[in-house]
Amino acid sequence: MADLASIARIPGVASAVLGDEAGGFHDAIREGDGESVASVTGFLAASLARAGEELGLGAVRRIAAAGEKRGFVIVKVGQAYVTARVEPASALGAVERALDASAGAGG
Amino acid sequence: METILQSLMELAGVSAVLVFDSAGQLLGHRGHAVYDQALCQSVSGALAKALDAVQLQQEDWETVTASYADGKLVLRRVVAADQTNVLAVVADGSLNASFATVALRVAAGKLKRFLEGGPASSSAVNLGSSAAAAARPAPGPGGSQPGPGDSRPNLANSGLSWSKISNVGLSRVAVADPASGAFLTRCAKELAQYVGPIAKVYVEEGVRRVAPDAPFALAQGRALVEDLAAQIEDAGDRAKFQRALSK
Repeated sequence: MADLASIARIPGVASAVLGDEAGGFHDAIREGDGESVASVTGFLAASLARAGEELGLGAVRRIAAAGEKRGFVIVKVGQAYVTARVEPASALGAVERALDASAGAGG
Repeated sequence: METILQSLMELAGVSAVLVFDSAGQLLGHRGHAVYDQALCQSVSGALAKALDAVQLQQEDWETVTASYADGKLVLRRVVAADQTNVLAVVADGSLNASFATVALRVAAGKLKRFLEGGPASSSAVNLGSSAAAAARPAPGPGGSQPGPGDSRPNLANSGLSWSKISNVGLSRVAVADPASGAFLTRCAKELAQYVGPIAKVYVEEGVRRVAPDAPFALAQGRALVEDLAAQIEDAGDRAKFQRALSK
C-alpha cells in the first residue's frame, strides 16, 4: 500500500489522494474532495489504459498533466492509484521521479 | 497538416501522430502502417474521454503524458478558433521527452495557425520541419541516435546560437543590474547543454516564477537554479548543472 503521508511530504506536492482502479476512494491528505479526485482518476486511467491497449503500449504506469502553473501526477502502486497535485508546475519532474521511487520501493 | 505531422514523425521513437477534436473525431493522422485510420479513430475516442477527465481535474491543462510499460503517449492541447483540438504523439521508450516537448510545442503552434486558416499555415512546411530538426537529437559520430537516457543533445547541428542565448535577460526578462543579466546568460548556456535550444524559454519562464513582481536579481539566483534543475531529467546531469552554477 502506498505511504500517502510520505508522498504528501515530497516538495511540490500540494495534495495526495489514494484510490483504486475502480475509482474508489481510500485516503487523502490536504485534499477536500478526495472522493471526486479518486473517481476521476479511475476513469482517466481506464480510458488511457484502453487507448494504450489498442496502440500496443502495454499497461499504464504513470500519467502526468501540466498546465502553466500547476499539474498533477498519477502513479500506479500495486492495484492502487496515487494522485498528487503539484504546484508549481516546474516541480512536476521532480515529483514524478520521487513517486516512481516510492512505487519502485513497493509504496 | 501532413507536413506538421511528418515533422513529429521524424523524432526518434515516434510511431504515430494524431490530431483529433474534443469529441474524439480524428482530423488527421500519420504513422507506421499498423496505425491505420480505423485504429486511430478508435484511439482518438478513448483519448477524448480521458481528456474530459483531465479537464475535470485541471481545466487549464496544456500537456498530458502517459507512460506505459512499452511506450509513451504525449498529448498537447491546441485551441484554434475557440475549439479545443489535441495533438497526440505515440512513441516507444526511446522517445526523448525533452526534445518531444520542444517539437510538440512548435508543432502545436503551427497546427493552431493551420486550423485557424491563417497565413502562417502556408509556411508550416518549412517551419515545421526545421523545428523538429532543431528539437531532434543529432546523430552521433557513428550515425546512431543518443540512447533514451541521454538528455544531452548534440548542439553542433541543433541550430542553437549563443548570440541568441546571450540576449536572455535583456529582451523579455527584466534584470536588476548587468551582473544579474550575465548570470541569466550563464544559466541558459549551462542548461542548453542538457535540454537544447529550449533552455532560453525555460530561463525566461523560471525568472517569471522566482521573480514575478520585480526585476530579477542575483539574490534569487539559487532559487532560479533549483527551478531550472527540475527541467533536467537525468540526476547526474542535474547535479552537474547545479554545481556549474554554484561556482
